[in-house]
Amino acid sequence: MSRRQRSRALRWLSTLAAVVALVVILFPVYAIVVGSFESTATLFSGTFYWLPHAATLDNYRTVFQIGSAGAQSTVSGSETKDVLTSLIVGLGTVFLALVVAVPAAYALSKYRLRVTLVIVSSLLVAQIVPSIVLATSLFIVFNWIHLVNTYPALILADGTYAIPFAILVLRAFFFSLPNELMYAARVDGATEWQTFRLIVIPLARSAVITVALFAFLAGWGDFIFALTILNGAGIEPITLGIYTYLGNYSTDWGAVMASAAIAMIPAGVTLAVAQRYIATGLTAGSVKG
Amino acid sequence: MLRRPTQPTGKAQAEAVAAFPSVDTDVRPRLSGWRRQQLAGWLFLVPAIAYLLFTFALPIVYNVMLGFERTSPATIGNFTAPFAGIDNYRFVFNDPSSRDAIVRTFEFTFGSLLGQFVIGFALALLFSLRFPGRTIARSLVIVPWLLPLIVTGVIFKFMFQAEGGAVNQLLMNVGVVDHRIQWLNDPHLAFWTILMANIWLGIPFFTLLLYSALQDVPVEVREAAVIDGAGPWQRLRLIIVPIILPVIEVTLLLGFVFTVKVFDLVVGLTGGGPANSTQLITTWSYNLSFGQNGTFGEGAALNNVLLVLALICSPLYLLLSRGSLRRSRGADG
Repeated sequence: MSRRQRSRALRWLSTLAAVVALVVILFPVYAIVVGSFESTATLFSGTFYWLPHAATLDNYRTVFQIGSAGAQSTVSGSETKDVLTSLIVGLGTVFLALVVAVPAAYALSKYRLRVTLVIVSSLLVAQIVPSIVLATSLFIVFNWIHLVNTYPALILADGTYAIPFAILVLRAFFFSLPNELMYAARVDGATEWQTFRLIVIPLARSAVITVALFAFLAGWGDFIFALTILNGAGIEPITLGIYTYLGNYSTDWGAVMASAAIAMIPAGVTLAVAQRYIATGLTAGSVKG
Repeated sequence: MLRRPTQPTGKAQAEAVAAFPSVDTDVRPRLSGWRRQQLAGWLFLVPAIAYLLFTFALPIVYNVMLGFERTSPATIGNFTAPFAGIDNYRFVFNDPSSRDAIVRTFEFTFGSLLGQFVIGFALALLFSLRFPGRTIARSLVIVPWLLPLIVTGVIFKFMFQAEGGAVNQLLMNVGVVDHRIQWLNDPHLAFWTILMANIWLGIPFFTLLLYSALQDVPVEVREAAVIDGAGPWQRLRLIIVPIILPVIEVTLLLGFVFTVKVFDLVVGLTGGGPANSTQLITTWSYNLSFGQNGTFGEGAALNNVLLVLALICSPLYLLLSRGSLRRSRGADG
């Protein structure tokens, strides 16, 4: 085989390997989307159909409680409300993360403060702390101050996923801004706050988008704090809704499939329109941060 | 270090300073530039410090306290409960279920890291080759990592059902097995199922980090190795791995930390069953705390074991991140 033939063969072999890997990686997602369109009868027939079999929207009607479709849902609770709840929690987490992290990251990168080393080390360690440790304590603390079952409690808790990461990513970004920008603003008579608001924030847009996306996905996808701090009553985000449908003894597969498919939407949208921000964040946050 | 200006600053001056752009620099408050910047830096940090104290420092300290308390449903409304000495820890280390959960967490973590690293590294190498569609392939690999963890649990539960699960269906269609495998009902197999699900979940993280490290290996180094007659395996072992070793270390370390805290996935997939065969420290601690007995003290004791496990890594992590720690030169220097 000539060298050229060999490199061509290698190229096709690589493509083939990548296709196989992607099929394995993406199949679970495909299975759930297909499953969400199957009728209850099909889901309980004991056979998995590789392609949609007798596709129906019944599962979505059930979870959104649109009319009374044929599906026999035993659990009541509208997914419309759950989706709204998750949106509020996700956006709340974004708001909290940005308000806390953007100024902090700026201070930790552009000001020479004595605490910088201590705070940055704490942030690195904070990323390591298991959520169940925080959840158990926060539940009792929130219970004590009567904040259990409220949005602020859940959003404060969900911030623990996003904020240490956000500060580290934004800090790494702020290092790339030349210090001369700040000198120039100061010489022009801008206050520190004006420099931050009018010069630094507009330049940080892409890093802020990355951080906001992560915060949203964290708030939207959180289950552990929803399970503990919401204590199963009142507010119910979509992740908790799925858990409810999962049930203890019998699983309402139709409803679970449809809810799970809905819960995947933000991930899909992110991948379609903002993929580059995610890839940057994933690598920046953990190694270069 | 922070002292207020001794001279009172006039209201007119403050207003003039607030106007942007301020032309007349003489009307600034009499706070030296350095002090002013220190004050501003601290003010920018206040929300973050308050947040970290409330959601990290307080819960961690409280969790340590809780580990020494005798809790019951009656004490949950209070901030503290009667002192219990080391009873909770004694319970955790003597209770077979808790001990099993600790051992299983180790098995789960090392199994996951092994699988994630091997697959992730293989994919990273694959994506470093030039072939049509590699950009899109690389972006699709991220998918498992973007999904809510409870959804991943549900997906695997659906796929690994004995009846009507895609995995059994495939194995039977291909003819590998002739009966339905009880993936989730057999205590031994259930552990392998959560392991597989977690490996799937961690592939994007390992692939992307190792891929970006591979991109940083200088082309000249690789070409030089080829010219010197090194085969692919030699190049990998003697050239590439040593160069990207720091990233491999960080990746494994973070992988360890992420894996010991897995919770949602197991709750969604098996709920810790059957017969507690898939309980990890996290899920078992949740059961102890939020179960019917409300034994938050025992849950907290187990949590603290987990916390120690995770925090053991922090000096190493700080050491590996020292580059970022050292960069603390500010603009006001």
